[in-house]
Amino acid sequence: MSKKIGVYVCECGPNIADKVDIKKILAEISSLSEPPERIIITKKHKLLCSNEGQDFLADEIKKNELTHLVIAACSPRDHDITFMNVCKRTNLNPYLYKLINIREHCAWIIPDKEEATEKAIQYIRAGINRVAYQAPLTEKELDSIPDVLVIGAGIAGIESSLSLASEKRKVYLLERTSSIGGKVTKFEKILPHQGTNLDIIREKIQAVQENENIKIFTETEVDKAVGFLGNFEITLKNIHNDDQKNEFKVGAIVVATGYNLFNPEKIPRYGYGKIEDVYTSMEIEESNSKTGKILLKSGKPPRTAALIHCVGREEKGYCSRVCCNYMFKIAQYLKEKRPDIKITEFYQDLCLPNKADQEFFVDTKNKEVDFIRFKDISIKQKDKEKFIEYTKTDGKKEKIPAEMIILAPAIEPAAGSEDIAELLNISLDEMGFFQEAHQKLNPVATSIDGVFIVGSAQNPKNIPDSIMDAQAVGGKILTQLIPGVKLVPEVTISEISDAFCTGCQTCLSVCSYGAIYFDEDRNISVVNEAICRGCGNCVASCPSGAAHAKHFTSPQIYQEVLEAIR
Amino acid sequence: MNNSDILVIGAGVAGMEASLLLANTGKKVYLVEKESLIGGNIIKYEDVFPNMECSTCMIAPKQQEVLQNENIELLMLSTVEKVQGEIGDFTVTVKKKARYVSLVDCIGCGMCYEPCPVSLKNEFEQNLSEKKAIYVPCPGSLPNVPAIDPEYCLQLNGKKTCNACVEACAFGAINLSDKDEKIELKVGAIIVASGFDIVDPIGFPQYGYGKHPNVYTAMEVERLYASNGPTEGKITLRKGDGTPNSIAIIQCVGREQQGYCSSVCCMYSFKLAHYLKDKLPNVKIYDFHSDLCIPGKYYQKFFQDIKDEGINFIYSPVDKIKVEGNEKSLSIEYYNGKDEKEKLSTDMVILSLAMIQGKDTASLSKFLGIEQDKRGFFMNQSIQLGSVDTSKPGIFLTGCAEGPKDIQSSITQAEAAVGKVMSYFQ
Repeated sequence: MSKKIGVYVCECGPNIADKVDIKKILAEISSLSEPPERIIITKKHKLLCSNEGQDFLADEIKKNELTHLVIAACSPRDHDITFMNVCKRTNLNPYLYKLINIREHCAWIIPDKEEATEKAIQYIRAGINRVAYQAPLTEKELDSIPDVLVIGAGIAGIESSLSLASEKRKVYLLERTSSIGGKVTKFEKILPHQGTNLDIIREKIQAVQENENIKIFTETEVDKAVGFLGNFEITLKNIHNDDQKNEFKVGAIVVATGYNLFNPEKIPRYGYGKIEDVYTSMEIEESNSKTGKILLKSGKPPRTAALIHCVGREEKGYCSRVCCNYMFKIAQYLKEKRPDIKITEFYQDLCLPNKADQEFFVDTKNKEVDFIRFKDISIKQKDKEKFIEYTKTDGKKEKIPAEMIILAPAIEPAAGSEDIAELLNISLDEMGFFQEAHQKLNPVATSIDGVFIVGSAQNPKNIPDSIMDAQAVGGKILTQLIPGVKLVPEVTISEISDAFCTGCQTCLSVCSYGAIYFDEDRNISVVNEAICRGCGNCVASCPSGAAHAKHFTSPQIYQEVLEAIR
Repeated sequence: MNNSDILVIGAGVAGMEASLLLANTGKKVYLVEKESLIGGNIIKYEDVFPNMECSTCMIAPKQQEVLQNENIELLMLSTVEKVQGEIGDFTVTVKKKARYVSLVDCIGCGMCYEPCPVSLKNEFEQNLSEKKAIYVPCPGSLPNVPAIDPEYCLQLNGKKTCNACVEACAFGAINLSDKDEKIELKVGAIIVASGFDIVDPIGFPQYGYGKHPNVYTAMEVERLYASNGPTEGKITLRKGDGTPNSIAIIQCVGREQQGYCSSVCCMYSFKLAHYLKDKLPNVKIYDFHSDLCIPGKYYQKFFQDIKDEGINFIYSPVDKIKVEGNEKSLSIEYYNGKDEKEKLSTDMVILSLAMIQGKDTASLSKFLGIEQDKRGFFMNQSIQLGSVDTSKPGIFLTGCAEGPKDIQSSITQAEAAVGKVMSYFQ
């Protein structure tokens, strides 16, 4: 079929007009016409991006019945979308158009007018040859399911469920243990000031239980999760009974699997598990919450206590963010129970990033709690006495006795994170936490569209930050999966030719989005069009040339380069 | 009445994120920004910590998206002046200052700068360079359309008849009779993303800022390092022999007075140290710090990496540090880890200053009818549970307007505010 290619050069006021010879460009480009196969129509315009310019283009496309469009103007970052919209308006497929940047690439950088003109001609020629090989692409629409699966019923999972559930959106809340609420339910009080009791947490737990749009599964794990944003097929299994399964579909998955605490036994100098009355902070919280008391093994309240921060920080290679604040809280518990208790907190750095944190520290310090910055520390026992031996930052070695020793162990990734990562095809970072889509700009998303991470599953976090994550996931999902609204996946994606694929599966290993699956029956790899983002990894790695990227095919690039270097 | 249009105040990273998420659902968003460009503070940085990703490369696509989104009505050079009503039915009065340059007709060629006869200090560049009365704050500003400062423009301030920029513009984009406007908006909810400011270093004379020319703020050094900054990335001293051979960074300046840790200064101080080592491999860098606030899985590793680059970290109480000196060199008196007084001489001093509430927080607080906390930031409803809620239903807080935070936390909070808005209007 004959191709009718319109080539329009924008003067961009004086920006292009003064720096390249547009007359010469038009003359040379016109001469490339090879009727009847390839007819080229050329014109210039003062400012194609203006409303008048856009109308002019639309008119030209219709009047000349153009099959392809090339525009020589500015950077695609400025006006690619503008001109694609003109195409759409005139029913010319926008993938049969190409914008050539002769402003930034020629006019603005080459002082010699003749040279700039030559380069512009070369670029436009390459663009014409490319566009002739471009193919029309059309957007597809997919139905989506608004419902969400939330994995983990700690505070982050609970808040996520509450942010998401509505009459039009069901939430399936999954918990591995027998009750919901997570670690926070073991605490006596939550931070910061004066300690708040757990009523506000209990209210949230109750709200989840009473919400008829939230279905809770306890002692349950994910068995299978297959699909993509808007359409995941989920199978759950009871952890005691493999045959007890639940199957349903959701549009998104939220991972809220929380954290574990570092085991202080791994560092013998803390004496945990060997020396009596060395506790973890969580043990103290639990004891206080259950019995209202913090006592020594002997049943007596302690007269002296040493609170040691940063247990495992060096081993893990990161600061767990929450320990400083909760150690102040524990000091305050102890002071409330026995005002004359002597408390020493041993820390490396006080990490007080929230605007209210420092005030809580000062308040604790003012309750006559000593703070010592240490370099090395160990716990020693001699007869019945226990000592903290430490080196201060000035190099001085000292020791003090302590009846009770409380350790703040580092927060580490939850057990089973690897399994969930594998199941959902998302990544873990080098520390073992779930990896966010972008550290700065997309912290609750993952590399898989529709799979989100919240709370300490992503990074050690306190309660407010976990709740913030949960509400953020609300923001992400409520704006992406709107009941009744269809999803439009990426258009410029990869496809794998059935005929050429040899079934080597190299593409599966390089796909970052889990967009390729292997069809065992036909022994070929297949691209899931709903997931593929068109990065081209599979195309570059395919040894048999079976994979190609739509809109970036080898012939398109070859033809473009061919003209560019002629 | 249940109006689901949204007002977002501030087009920094938090405001842009919230606007885009909402606009992409088809909601109408009014994005009000007081400056003539969008992007907020992040566009002043060359790179962001800890992965040292190019800041412009990261944020420019977002800025473009905001500019191109048909559902976002961007009002620049604009401030909120009055708010009435309640959730679902707010009436907001916005004062929009004249730009004098058409956002539609201007193509950003920059032909108008050269002919302008007036030069003035460029605040965006921390006054390290000058701009014309018709200006974009720095190369790469988005939108790439200048504004005219009516106080300095000779024609507009009435000092002289001048038509130089109008004559230079090939697109007829400049209109010197442009007028300030009052615009009334009807919205259902408001997201406050008005950002932060930096405490004034003049308030801390012991560190010598303003007295000794080679004492800098961290933001000044950001712009010195920036490839689109006043020196195009060359680290040159204000006074003396070109580039510094030794540099001292003093952290936590203003922390004690403000009563809180600004949470990002450790990290950006390390980043500055890394910048400077990168440009000046032989420079000696001393980092005076107190407790390191480097929470979370990525930050400590960054500290270790910077330490390995040969930066000298000195733990020293900031309130006992004194900077003395002359135009040639600076001398720092400090107490070392053993509480002994020591002295050190350097060519350059950089102050990592506390983040404080944005300049317009007090007035916004009055117009919006929401409270400030005792530190000056906007007050969130629940410090125990974390919250984007204010004391007024339908008005939400995000980013550093609520308190100091890094980019990641600002984005999370913006998304959380969007979650609240979507829940209400679904």
